Amino acid sequence: MASATDSIKEQMKELLIPYKGERGALIPILQKTQEKLGYLPEEAVEEIAKFLHISRNQIFGVMTFYAQFRLHPTGKNVVRVCRGTACHVKGGHRILLEVEKRLGVKEGQTTPDLNYTLETVACIGACALAPTMVINEETHGEMTMKKVEELFGDASKGDHHA
Amino acid sequence: MPENSRHTVLICQGTGCTSAKSPQIQVSLEAEIRALGLPAQVKFTGCHGFCQRGPIAIVEPEGVFYTHVKPEDARDIARSHLKEGKVVERLLYPDPQTGERIPHYKDVIFYKEQNRVVLKNCGHINPESLDDALEVGVYSGLKKALQMSPEQVIEEVKKSGLRGRGGAGFPTWQKWSFCRAAPGQNKYMIVNADEGDPGAFMDRSILEADPHSCIEGMTVGAYAIGANHGYMYVRAEYPLAIVRVRKALAQAEERGFLGDNILGSGFSFHVQLKEGAGAFVCGEETALIASIEGLRGMPRPRPPFPANSGVWASPSNINNVKTLTSAARILSMGADWFAGIGTADSKGTVIFSLTGKVANCGLVEVPMGTPLRKIIYEIGGGIPNQKRFKAVQTGGPSGGCLPASMLDTPVDFGTLAQVGSILGSGGMVVADEDTCIVDLARFFLTFTQAESCGKCIPCRVGTRQMLNLMTRITQGEGQRGDVEKLISLANTVRSGSLCGLGQTCPNPILTTTRYFLDEYKAHIEKKKCPAVVCRDIIIAPCRHTCPAQINVPRYIREIQKGDYDTALAVIRERVPFPAILGYVCFHPCEAKCRRKDVDEPIAICSLKRFAADHATDKWKDRAAMKPPTGKRVAVVGAGPAGLTAAYYLARLGHKVTVLEALPQAGGMMRVGIPRYRLPAEVLDKEIGEITALGVELKTNTRVQSADKLFAEGYAAVYLATGAHLGTKMRVKGEDGPGVLDCVTFLREASSGQKFNLGIRVVVVGGGNSAIDAARTALRLGAKEVTIVYRRTRKEMPATHEEIEEALHEGAKLEVLANPTQVIRDSGHLKLECVRMRLGAPDDSGRPRPEPMPGSEYVMEVDSVIAAIGQMPEDLAEMGIKVGRGNQVEVNEDTMATSRPGVFAGGDVVLGPSSVIESIAQGREAAMAVDRYLGGKGDIAETFALPEEIVPAEVAEGGAARARMPAMPPAQRQGSFSLVDLGFTAEQALAECRRCLRCDLEE
Repeated sequence: MASATDSIKEQMKELLIPYKGERGALIPILQKTQEKLGYLPEEAVEEIAKFLHISRNQIFGVMTFYAQFRLHPTGKNVVRVCRGTACHVKGGHRILLEVEKRLGVKEGQTTPDLNYTLETVACIGACALAPTMVINEETHGEMTMKKVEELFGDASKGDHHA
Repeated sequence: MPENSRHTVLICQGTGCTSAKSPQIQVSLEAEIRALGLPAQVKFTGCHGFCQRGPIAIVEPEGVFYTHVKPEDARDIARSHLKEGKVVERLLYPDPQTGERIPHYKDVIFYKEQNRVVLKNCGHINPESLDDALEVGVYSGLKKALQMSPEQVIEEVKKSGLRGRGGAGFPTWQKWSFCRAAPGQNKYMIVNADEGDPGAFMDRSILEADPHSCIEGMTVGAYAIGANHGYMYVRAEYPLAIVRVRKALAQAEERGFLGDNILGSGFSFHVQLKEGAGAFVCGEETALIASIEGLRGMPRPRPPFPANSGVWASPSNINNVKTLTSAARILSMGADWFAGIGTADSKGTVIFSLTGKVANCGLVEVPMGTPLRKIIYEIGGGIPNQKRFKAVQTGGPSGGCLPASMLDTPVDFGTLAQVGSILGSGGMVVADEDTCIVDLARFFLTFTQAESCGKCIPCRVGTRQMLNLMTRITQGEGQRGDVEKLISLANTVRSGSLCGLGQTCPNPILTTTRYFLDEYKAHIEKKKCPAVVCRDIIIAPCRHTCPAQINVPRYIREIQKGDYDTALAVIRERVPFPAILGYVCFHPCEAKCRRKDVDEPIAICSLKRFAADHATDKWKDRAAMKPPTGKRVAVVGAGPAGLTAAYYLARLGHKVTVLEALPQAGGMMRVGIPRYRLPAEVLDKEIGEITALGVELKTNTRVQSADKLFAEGYAAVYLATGAHLGTKMRVKGEDGPGVLDCVTFLREASSGQKFNLGIRVVVVGGGNSAIDAARTALRLGAKEVTIVYRRTRKEMPATHEEIEEALHEGAKLEVLANPTQVIRDSGHLKLECVRMRLGAPDDSGRPRPEPMPGSEYVMEVDSVIAAIGQMPEDLAEMGIKVGRGNQVEVNEDTMATSRPGVFAGGDVVLGPSSVIESIAQGREAAMAVDRYLGGKGDIAETFALPEEIVPAEVAEGGAARARMPAMPPAQRQGSFSLVDLGFTAEQALAECRRCLRCDLEE
């Protein structure tokens, strides 16, 4: 474990360099950290606190305020089902239930094999294609039960999105 | 050699089109062009705002518009269009109404009726090329601004009348001048691109398609207020927009449109991109400032206003993407031009993200003041799938839901606010009959409750309490008084919150309770979700939709097991007429069947008939009569409502007498529905079950006075006399020989009366009665039967199967026509009709038919049958209150009329309805009458043993719905024998296997 912690510390030191002296850098730093590590581990938060001379408490307050930040690692693939208005009106809720059924996890959870994390998102702005979902960076529009089946029918078997 | 040297193909690479592989189209097309050695070039553009039809490609200079393009279509586009000059027909956009393929971008009604000012470059330039932007005039406004004084720039914006597009509509010039006047050296210009309203995506689209225009407007604003620093705050959920903005900022700086000494003017402006981290409240300016500073994005009280103390306590100005892009256009095209668009207090254009249940989803830019109707029905192409419009929601979680009666509302800042909604960030979501308004309001609350930052207690606690109430209602646990509680909470939240989120989040509740109170009542009082959406109160959509709540999924499983007796017992538990319904029900259940999402709905009605046709009367083993109460009840009218009430009241031990004016019992089932659909023996058998319980049936008995019935010793009276009067066409010359009303015609035909209809018969109307009349006329010897209907076939209320059968049998359909007069010309009968066209929808959401003056034409006919409606006889003599159209007024909960002891139901209350609705009314009446007579009103019956669930495979998608065998049309002439012959056992079994068993889902 010590080595993992050291590695995070190392990575953080390097990551933080460009932010020296920048005002309001906390959120961009958290975003960059998450981009790099996939989530915000405690060790990273500690490094950020030292770097910005603010308390971990304060950072934690910001992290939990914004929907974007994760406190736990995600699966290999992140599935985000859109819960925007257009998607809702076009049956997005049922798409979410179907994905939950196929993956065997609820919104906010990760499959035990760490292949998928299932999340919802307020709106991805692809409303004309409702209902939509995003798998990693790829947007999938006009979702149907059948498309969910095609995407996750064999979810238990492997990582075809990786 | 065709002229192909000038071709440029523009391929959309916005978020939507990219998700459908548009970058690959570009690659394939470039390869094809190279292989063919064509001089054409391929460019990519940002979002066209018509993502639903994406991926989109436009071939210039002709402006040919291709939709739903796939990479494999590159070959045809290159070979046919670019090489040979032949347009690829199959990729053209089909008009949603006519299906006609439309070649040119400018002729597609979605674009044609728009006035694209802010979006004018979107989809037409490469968003990653500054040269492309310059070519279409971007930065020309900035150049002009830099030659003016900052005060002159503000004056120009003032003259234009521009108001903030972020929602509140504050005059932009005023905001700028406050910030300009504020003391301080370091001032900040901020772009709010934190488009958090779920359902709005125009800011994303602009930044993806034309980022330089926004940067231009921002720089103009910065110059006007004297800011040297700026932030663009863009949602992190818009990765592509972020990439394009970043590139555009770098390009602008490199070419001197940003940075130090812009275009040699001495003015310097530096912009930094900030990614929002996902918090709706950051759309509020003070919260956004906190977020830029790296804090939790919570609003703070104003004053001080950001103009005096904003980011880093310096004077700051925040504008929306659309506001700033509009400002850029104003500077470039002139304030007078801009002020010439829109209304007196709302200048310029407004952009909506038109989404939901509308044919054309996408970005719509129209002048302020355009009516909602035009946006939804012309640009949006109306509601797809023949569904009815229910509501339009504008302004997202801060806005309101407006009903059809408000469709003429012009969209501008003031008018929408007056009716309880807002323009807001421009979300416009259309809801149809399948959208539950209560669920939609709850959806918005779920969002605002989660996004409430928690600072103001009324918002934090109030949204939670409202959500709890709404959840309770959608779960079927609502209580009387909940709506009043909601409204009171909503007003508290509105008045007690600091920022826009709290002040406007009650709007969805306030407007839906105001305009859609009936839907709340259905959830609270009847535990029903009319749109069949709220999962917690729906076991299975079919059962929920059935007016009598028959346990459809179970009887389907019993048929599947081969246990037809139990299947019938299950149906019998809710209705006394299983076979009749199996033959004639209009099956609203099938319209909501979830199997339709997979392929086609289950043939529920036909399965019911199968069960009734094949089962024995084993259900009677468990049927029991309650001991006699000694009370006598008179039921007036032996139709489905009256007989159902009689059946249940007899079971409860009351002594029931049914009084019927006609010679035989059955009501409309006897004299309205023709025998080829419902054989007499089926009807007789099920009515026989009721008289067998001891119900006394007196036919040929017309009741005229309730007093007399009470005097005869009846303790209660149930009026179910139906609606047997035909409605007139109200045209000149209709009174006289040769013109009949449908109700009379069908009644007399059913009693075997001979008619001499002649050869040519016209039936006027589009409901099931019109079809019945047409098919009956054919059987009575008419050779040419034409059904004249004023709307199109799509709008005909008759069931699809019935229309098909009539056409099979030789009837013709003359749609978009309406009679104007009946002409009798020396013994010859003529019907004059006028051509109709579909206008805007009426309040029921159906398009209003409008006559086309001068299009009158005359048909030679022998008979005319008017099937345009029917109404009850006037029962006012019974001493009860009668309303419009002779409909008896009753208390919805107790079915009681204004006179104690007199109840009413069926068509006499509802107006013409269906057998199943009348049965449901009869059930209600039986409960109400029993309670009135001192009973508990408990009519529940159990005939089937508890179900044993047998696991079964569900048929895979694509399994076709079973088609019932029918008598060949040639044999139907002159015969009233049954047409539909019923499923075979194999068909029934196959159909049962298609059932998704929704009720067994966890």
